[in-house]
Amino acid sequence: MSDKTFDILNKILVSLIVIIIVYPLIFVVSASISDPAAVSTGKMWLWPVDITLDGFKIVFQNDDIWMGYRNTIIYVVLGIVVHLALLLPCAYALSRPEVKWKTGILWFILFTMLFNGGMIPTYLVVKNLGMLDTIWAIVIPGALGAWSILVARTFFEQNVPNQLVEAAKIDGASDFYIFFKIALPLSIPIIAVMALFHGVGLWNQYFSALIYLSDRNLFPLQLILREILVLNEMSATEGVQDISGSVGSFADQVKIAAQIKYAVMIVSTLPLIIVYPFVQRFFVQGVLIGSVKE
Amino acid sequence: MASKNSASQALPNGKPKTSLKKHFAANWQVYALLMPALIYFFIFNYIPMYGIQIAFKDFIANLGFWGSPWVGFEHFERFFNSYYFVRLLKNTLLLSLYMLILFPLPIIFALSLHELSYGKFKKWAQTLTYAPHFISVVVVVGMIVAFLDPITGLINHVIEFFGGTSKNFLTDPDWFRHIFVWSGQWQSLGWGTIIYLAALAGVNPELIEAAKVDGATRMQRILHINIPAIMPTIVILFILNMGSFMQIGFEKVLLLQNNLNSETSDVIATFVYQTGILEGQYSFSTAVGLFESVINIIVLVSANYLARRVSNNSLW
Amino acid sequence: MKYTKLLLVLVASLFLFTACSKDKEQPKADGPSDEELEILNEKDMPIVNEEVDLEFFAGQAPATNPDWNDVLIFNTYEDMTNMNIKWKMVPHDSIAEQRNLALGSGSLPDAFHSAQIGVSDLAKYGEQGVFVPLNDLIDKYAPNFKKILDENPVIKKAITMPDGNIYSFPLISDPEFASHRIQARPFINKKWLDELGMDMPKTTDEFYQYLTAVKEELGEVPFGGPYIDTLTEYLLGSFGLATKGGSNLYLDEDPETGDIRFYPTSDGYKELIEYVHKLYSEGLIEKNIFSIDHHQFITNLGDGKYGSVVWFAPEEVASKENGKDFVGMPTLEGPHGDKTLNKIGDPVMSPGAFVITSNNEYPAATVRWIDYFYGEEGMKLFFMGVEDETYTVADDGTLQFMDHITNSKDGLTFEEEAAKYLTFPGGGFPSMVKEGLFQGVASAPQSLEAADLLKPDMIPDDEIWPSLTYTKEENDKLQGFGKDIEKYVAEMTDKFISGAEPLSKWDTYVKEIENMGLDKYLEIKETALERQLK
Repeated sequence: MSDKTFDILNKILVSLIVIIIVYPLIFVVSASISDPAAVSTGKMWLWPVDITLDGFKIVFQNDDIWMGYRNTIIYVVLGIVVHLALLLPCAYALSRPEVKWKTGILWFILFTMLFNGGMIPTYLVVKNLGMLDTIWAIVIPGALGAWSILVARTFFEQNVPNQLVEAAKIDGASDFYIFFKIALPLSIPIIAVMALFHGVGLWNQYFSALIYLSDRNLFPLQLILREILVLNEMSATEGVQDISGSVGSFADQVKIAAQIKYAVMIVSTLPLIIVYPFVQRFFVQGVLIGSVKE
Repeated sequence: MASKNSASQALPNGKPKTSLKKHFAANWQVYALLMPALIYFFIFNYIPMYGIQIAFKDFIANLGFWGSPWVGFEHFERFFNSYYFVRLLKNTLLLSLYMLILFPLPIIFALSLHELSYGKFKKWAQTLTYAPHFISVVVVVGMIVAFLDPITGLINHVIEFFGGTSKNFLTDPDWFRHIFVWSGQWQSLGWGTIIYLAALAGVNPELIEAAKVDGATRMQRILHINIPAIMPTIVILFILNMGSFMQIGFEKVLLLQNNLNSETSDVIATFVYQTGILEGQYSFSTAVGLFESVINIIVLVSANYLARRVSNNSLW
Repeated sequence: MKYTKLLLVLVASLFLFTACSKDKEQPKADGPSDEELEILNEKDMPIVNEEVDLEFFAGQAPATNPDWNDVLIFNTYEDMTNMNIKWKMVPHDSIAEQRNLALGSGSLPDAFHSAQIGVSDLAKYGEQGVFVPLNDLIDKYAPNFKKILDENPVIKKAITMPDGNIYSFPLISDPEFASHRIQARPFINKKWLDELGMDMPKTTDEFYQYLTAVKEELGEVPFGGPYIDTLTEYLLGSFGLATKGGSNLYLDEDPETGDIRFYPTSDGYKELIEYVHKLYSEGLIEKNIFSIDHHQFITNLGDGKYGSVVWFAPEEVASKENGKDFVGMPTLEGPHGDKTLNKIGDPVMSPGAFVITSNNEYPAATVRWIDYFYGEEGMKLFFMGVEDETYTVADDGTLQFMDHITNSKDGLTFEEEAAKYLTFPGGGFPSMVKEGLFQGVASAPQSLEAADLLKPDMIPDDEIWPSLTYTKEENDKLQGFGKDIEKYVAEMTDKFISGAEPLSKWDTYVKEIENMGLDKYLEIKETALERQLK
């Protein structure tokens, strides 16, 4: 197969996948500005039908939205810093051949992936450390997982050649110096990926906020959005029992609920979609030209 | 990777007792880099592990974890003797296996994306395909339900257009696994490429140039340079995947489940959610979770063994 | 050495943590302390003479006010009582997790409010001493609630645990308020009924004929629902099932022998299933009823696409315009002449709506605090708010919400506007739902009309068994094989109805249930029943 045909076939393949995958995105965007009745009955399946902006209006009517945005950004930024600060040194050290008892250390880390003590004991640790109702309850528990360490370690092994480190050592460089000045610059792509993964995880997570925070002023965006969403979902999905406590007519609310669902999604993911291209830059081939061969 | 060999190489030969001291003296900075993470794991993962003991206890709230009475394997017995045990285990294993088979898809897609010449198309293709990752489970299920609706759904319109009869996929136990797995793939394919793309970014461009000079075709370059270059990443991700083999996100299963398809959709994860979280039977759900973990360890160790034999990349 | 020190710190911290988690035994409160009695007023407001601070865990329903620390009714009540409540709001999303977290970790609030605590938890934590037994406190400090219990023994039975104690204040439906107790009720499309020239169905056969006519002559969907259960529940009484009311799933009294019966294996249940299966297989029930999205059902109902439903007043929940076409349908007479509405349970809608924990230093004051909401005055505050701020009294004595609530200037619905001042929207609260005070779907004219049609055939209150409560041993067993049996019945019922399993498999199904331990199951239920009816 010549390179030309390969190129064409490849482009067709990617285009096909893109078309299939893009469909839900168009659907979500269209649904967010369509009449919810049209969405739930299947009349709207690609382009918006009976355009309305009620969903967005309701979402932005909530005063807490901006506070939520601010908190989430703080959590994400701080969380990424803590994550990388714990992750990178550890992963680098594990990639070094001179480290002893490596299998033991690996198991120590892997074990945490397989077993956990459950919600209550973890809660008690967070509580005893005095982190309840502070930023740290969101940022610290879950800051590090076995998965990222092992993936990052593989990268260091691949991209930071042992000869390079040994050579630097002969020149009198310390391990700290090598880590900060040689290993890190060589590993920009993995740092970007890890930051992205962890950041997105933090952005979307609400459960630890539910459990560890009771001060509204600390609520992240996802929690605020859930409040709006769930408020409008009403008893509709909860069935028979709860409807008894409802006042008056909620016909309109049931309708708007469906629409808000999509507006909320757009409000909460748009910032990430805007940030992504900046991260993407680091995946471009050839970041490490130069520094390898000295 | 072959860490043991190189580790022993790095050690100065000779007297083992003093060498240990020397070793630390020479390399203390590496260990210092290692420590913060290990301390973190100790505090946030190991200390809470005393909670696991309640799998063998009858957890009574005001007696606490330590004070609750031991009951041995009672909870395990109850689980194994449950009418639905075989069905739960079978469904969990089959669903996990199905998802595992699709493990290569993001790799292929990543290689494919990587081959695109850098430009607008590549950028858009990447950004667009990773976006479905952010659609919440509730909405994805809502879309599935809307598309597969026997009366108004798009899929059934198409089937009817071609002369078929409409079908209720959502209540058919034969279709549950396909719907679950492929909708998941649909959502995560793009996102799954990110890590491979980062790995591919690390491939030395000089190698590619050299191969071009030698007249290698695109396909050959992929097979002999790109794939080997990301092989360690593939293996590690594969093994790590196996380590969470039994863990299936319960939320989506729960939303797609109904009494008519539960024959295939009833999995351990939903069972644990219902008994543990909703009904507060902590001891019982901890026991079931422990059972899952043990299976995961077995799978993980075998996967690692296999990987070491076949590709000579492995976790340890 | 560095490392030894580090290790020491780690080990020390381990001990620290385990020690901390150990010492959380709560002093078991036995009635009010002397300090409490000193400041407590046994009658009238304020409840205490000195200000008291308490922390309550509050279940936050989606529809209610998100922060009860600053809401009209509790601000008003705080001023009246001298009791300052710090509300810890817990959204329904995570209520099970957070409640179990609080109970399991020992970081208890002073009370749980609207926290959906079920009977098995009441029995369990009551026995363990986490919840305070209330019998004596109710006698002394809860005149309103005591009156309700004395007048309605069935309520008392339903919230008395196997150890003889009461641990909770429940959500009660006023036994007289039939429209609220019925919950989902049958509606029929009057416009289509007239169009077809048919009379209101009175028997299951006539209902079948109506549905057939809707399909054959109008080409519309004869029956719709978010799931099939509302229909089967409504029909229970027409097939001689659930003869002791709806409080206990699958359990009733065999009318011939007078023994306790697991009715899903009875012939009557088979007939019911056959009937519903006939409807489904002939296309008289919405085809995707087993998987339909709730919103889609509501939208369809609002678009007037159904010939009948068993649901809440369509005018209120779906659409004012098309909802008007629906009118209530009476209880249908079954093939053997049975005609009662048996799905009605005891008036306790949610048993553990309010619970006081052993952490509470002012149990008597707290009981007085909550008891207010079971009296006329308190209910007025709870459901209507404050006079001239949220409601006015008309000349005939009826209460009406003020214009700024019913006609929101922000375009909010009545419920959203009401939630700014009140907390009851969303349900699950400790109080009593009473006609006249409670303005919800159940009080809407369409609901009341439908309820009036059903009322004559409602199972009488003295026939209804209270929801059963179990000892720990009984509960352990039921959570094992008992749950499996109930799940199997639910699954097979849907399969028989949809035709996924042929009815010829009925005998295998009955056998399977027997093999799963039906005898033991019934034995436990019977013991519990005898204990409770005593």
